[in-house]
Amino acid sequence: MKRLTMLATILSVLLLLGPAAMAADTIPVGVPLAMTGAYTGSGDDYYKGIKMAIDEINAAGGLLGKQLEIIRYDSKEFAPEVVMQGADYLCGQKKVASVHAGWAGWGQDVRAYGKYEVPFFADDGSQAAVDVYRENPEQYANIFQLTDVGIEQAKSMFRVLMALPYEYPNKKAVIINTDDSWGVEVGDTLESSFKEKGWKVAKRETVPYGTNEWGAILTRIRRIKPALIHIEIPSAQENITFFRQFIKKPTQSILSLGWGITPREVVENLGEGADGIVGEMPTGLPGPVAPNAAGQAWIDKFVGLYKHQIPAGSWATYTGVMAWANAAKAVGDAYNFKAVNAYLREHGYEGHQGLIKWDKDNVLRAQKAAPVVHYQVQGGELVAIYTDPPTTPYRDSKFIVPRWIK
Amino acid sequence: MSMKRMLTIMTVAYGAMALMPLFVGDIRFIMHILIMCLIWAVVASCWDVIMGFAGIFSFGQVAFFVIGAYASAILAVNFGVPSVLAIVLAGLLTAGMGVLVGLPCLKLAGPYVALVTFGVHMTLMPLLRGDIGKAIGSGGSVGILTIPPVNIFGFTFSSANLVPTFYLALVMTVACSLIIVVVIKSYWGTAFLALKDSEDFAVSLGVSAFKYKLMVFALTSFLTGIVGAFYGHYIGMISTRMLELDLFCTLMVMLVMGGIGHYPGAILGAIITVTANELLSPLGSYRAVTMGALVVILVLALPNGVMGFWNKPESAVQEG
Amino acid sequence: MAISEDTLFLIYEIIDVIISGLTNGSVYALMAVGLTLVYGVTKAFNFAYGSFFNLGGYFAWILINFVGLVGGYFSIFLAVIPLMFVVGYGLEKTMVAPLRKRDEWEMKVMMLTLGLALFMDNLYAVVFGGRVKSLPPILEGTLEIGNLIFSYQDIMIFFLSITGILLFGWMLNNTRIGMAVQAVAQNPQGAKIVGIPKNRIFAATFAISTAMVGFGGILLSQKYFISPMSGGAIMIKSWVITAFGGMGSIRGGLVAAFIIGMLEAFVGWTFGMSYGMIALFVLLLTTLAIRPQGLMGRG
Repeated sequence: MKRLTMLATILSVLLLLGPAAMAADTIPVGVPLAMTGAYTGSGDDYYKGIKMAIDEINAAGGLLGKQLEIIRYDSKEFAPEVVMQGADYLCGQKKVASVHAGWAGWGQDVRAYGKYEVPFFADDGSQAAVDVYRENPEQYANIFQLTDVGIEQAKSMFRVLMALPYEYPNKKAVIINTDDSWGVEVGDTLESSFKEKGWKVAKRETVPYGTNEWGAILTRIRRIKPALIHIEIPSAQENITFFRQFIKKPTQSILSLGWGITPREVVENLGEGADGIVGEMPTGLPGPVAPNAAGQAWIDKFVGLYKHQIPAGSWATYTGVMAWANAAKAVGDAYNFKAVNAYLREHGYEGHQGLIKWDKDNVLRAQKAAPVVHYQVQGGELVAIYTDPPTTPYRDSKFIVPRWIK
Repeated sequence: MSMKRMLTIMTVAYGAMALMPLFVGDIRFIMHILIMCLIWAVVASCWDVIMGFAGIFSFGQVAFFVIGAYASAILAVNFGVPSVLAIVLAGLLTAGMGVLVGLPCLKLAGPYVALVTFGVHMTLMPLLRGDIGKAIGSGGSVGILTIPPVNIFGFTFSSANLVPTFYLALVMTVACSLIIVVVIKSYWGTAFLALKDSEDFAVSLGVSAFKYKLMVFALTSFLTGIVGAFYGHYIGMISTRMLELDLFCTLMVMLVMGGIGHYPGAILGAIITVTANELLSPLGSYRAVTMGALVVILVLALPNGVMGFWNKPESAVQEG
Repeated sequence: MAISEDTLFLIYEIIDVIISGLTNGSVYALMAVGLTLVYGVTKAFNFAYGSFFNLGGYFAWILINFVGLVGGYFSIFLAVIPLMFVVGYGLEKTMVAPLRKRDEWEMKVMMLTLGLALFMDNLYAVVFGGRVKSLPPILEGTLEIGNLIFSYQDIMIFFLSITGILLFGWMLNNTRIGMAVQAVAQNPQGAKIVGIPKNRIFAATFAISTAMVGFGGILLSQKYFISPMSGGAIMIKSWVITAFGGMGSIRGGLVAAFIIGMLEAFVGWTFGMSYGMIALFVLLLTTLAIRPQGLMGRG
């Protein structure tokens, strides 16, 4: 029994010790992201934006005279209790002044972080998360979404696809999406949008992540000869393997990868071979040529730091951190959560592209100053061709008909 | 191990846990960890019973946990069943599923059973996310986000008041553990051991393999289903993310740490693993690497896990 | 008799699906053979199988990106395969062998290899980063026959897989070590009596299976991707195939691999890709219900 008591004592002591008390002259900021598991890649991209913002603020003297300190938390694969634990750890234990996340749980995060008042920024892009918010807007007033929901992003994709200076040879479309809430939201919305416009969705397929053999699907596609193929898989490898197998004998179709065009691996692996593919990035800063000097400076700095063009989420989380810091500064106290949240809601934030505002659901809807940026791969890199809303061709960009369409 | 010894270890472990709220009752984060320790302790114990005791290589424990969680959530949310009743019903339902899964496993050898039960786990994800799942109210890939907390005579046990919820969880865990101890030490337990060590011989003595194997499945699934249901009502939300391999591996680590077939090692294993996981969290990606290395070292150095401290070192069994 | 255009298309589609199934099948065969060998001979279940698959891929990646591709893939194979053999041998001797002396060692080996898998997979994530890596294709270009297209890469992978398996089969039947392995698998007692060093054979078997799975890893990583987290899925798939074919039966594993490859292709074509996993387990369950030892397993 002596051993057991010893064991129990050690455990209790270790549990109680906890991490050392924080220095009083820093403001802790919580950053729960996927650091291990299947979603690590996206977690990485979000972190880049957050870190860039925090470093900038600290270099300029900090927030309200104090340096910001990043407290990371591993959301792993967003199991319910892990998300909840993250909230309890960051907000309850570490007493952070704000929380910045990327993908955060698609609804689970609203429940978890809604128990606190700490300003919480996420990039769920999920209607489910908004539905949870609507159940109790007062309690969830601290939850801020950084991108529009999948449904709206899908509508944006549809508008741009219809606005392209290209004449579709027929009105047949093929939609392929993943089986998670994002894929289903986008897939469903696109399907109904197409049908409304008199198109025929000749094939709608839901695939699991990890699908790398596209033989059967491509066979069908080659039989259908659709004018447009839309794949909605927010992960690099499936898109790359699809395209490689598709291009062996391509159909005369516009290939739209939706959000799936944004993971850097896609252009890095396919290079100029991917020229012609279109896709989108929500809450984006168009590039590689930015709309204004401030934006260009930001892109150049990012590229200097990370050696590649901006992936999805980086500008969104950067702007989120800046917006929060700005609100905290205006209120004068980073810990007056109610005031900071109210300020954000009322005043929004003046970002690189103008004033952005959160709507009544605390969602940063696609708007002129935080548009959905639509890209086409040109010369082996993502080039902005449209912004939406409103659906506008971007500066002097050109849409190039993919080389596989004769 | 004698019943007295088992009970003593359990009393000390649970007793220590029971005292924790006195020190950390207001630290939400730690209270939550403690509650999860209790929940996982039951799941790990059930897995220990079926694998370590009955010798059935079942890999479906997490699947039953999730089934219990979903069953109770659907009953409570879609049919308005009061929480306590929902939990019990969910347990019974999961037990039924356990028997269903156990039936085909009766004739199979070790790794095959593992595969079939793991198959249940793997097919559960697309099922819950797909049309069948949505039809029964699983919420598809979103999951169920508003599960009412456990409500006993008007008193709510939720994450809003963690200390009472902790004690409720403790009561539940102790009850489940006692059931397990009784089963292990009873005639059933001896029958299990006999079946595991030498099935043919045991059968020749009249031990019905069929009956006992099914009972093991039923019992462990029932208990796991109940804690799964409790988990749902406690966290207030569930999703298919619970089925990712991360959780599965963590449970296995608990068994390794605790020692398989050496009850109540599983309980200690659960507590140690959850604590270790939390302590190593700041390491980020290195956490999982360390856990993996720890498991390898433990299996080699402490073949009976933590319980190896108490048992006499086993004499080396030479393979013929 | 005139064939309508629709029927012609359908025939082409079916041929396409069959080819897809065959390509997958050959890859699965390569993956499964190693696992069934190791289990059949040593009765040790290697949970870290998928991690070794990725190890082969990562070794190749390191060689290509830091040492340069001299002599093409041939030199890569020459470098990596013996390396994997050594790794496997070492691992078996240091970790698996000591466990064999204990009771319930089958379960302990499973736990050990699980810990190993956890360790290796996350080590990859830490060392190589969480993002997927790719290898350059062994051959580029496509071959067109009528309406059917084949990529040279696929053909080469298929060819190499089959060659690997044949070589392996030849080795089993025609070399001393191969015969020794078979002897130990069929009759451990008898083999001991005859003087075959069982422990060394076990280690060698483990090493061979590791080398084979590493080879598979290099072959497949150029077509698909190396990701630190994909080990689990690969292990599960190999496991399903071996169980279906009968654990310990190499011929069973081969047959199973191709059946499953075809099943996946056809189910994906008819019902949709999400049903692949479900169909797989339904097939497995039904087979095991009728033949509890798998297709060709020894009872």
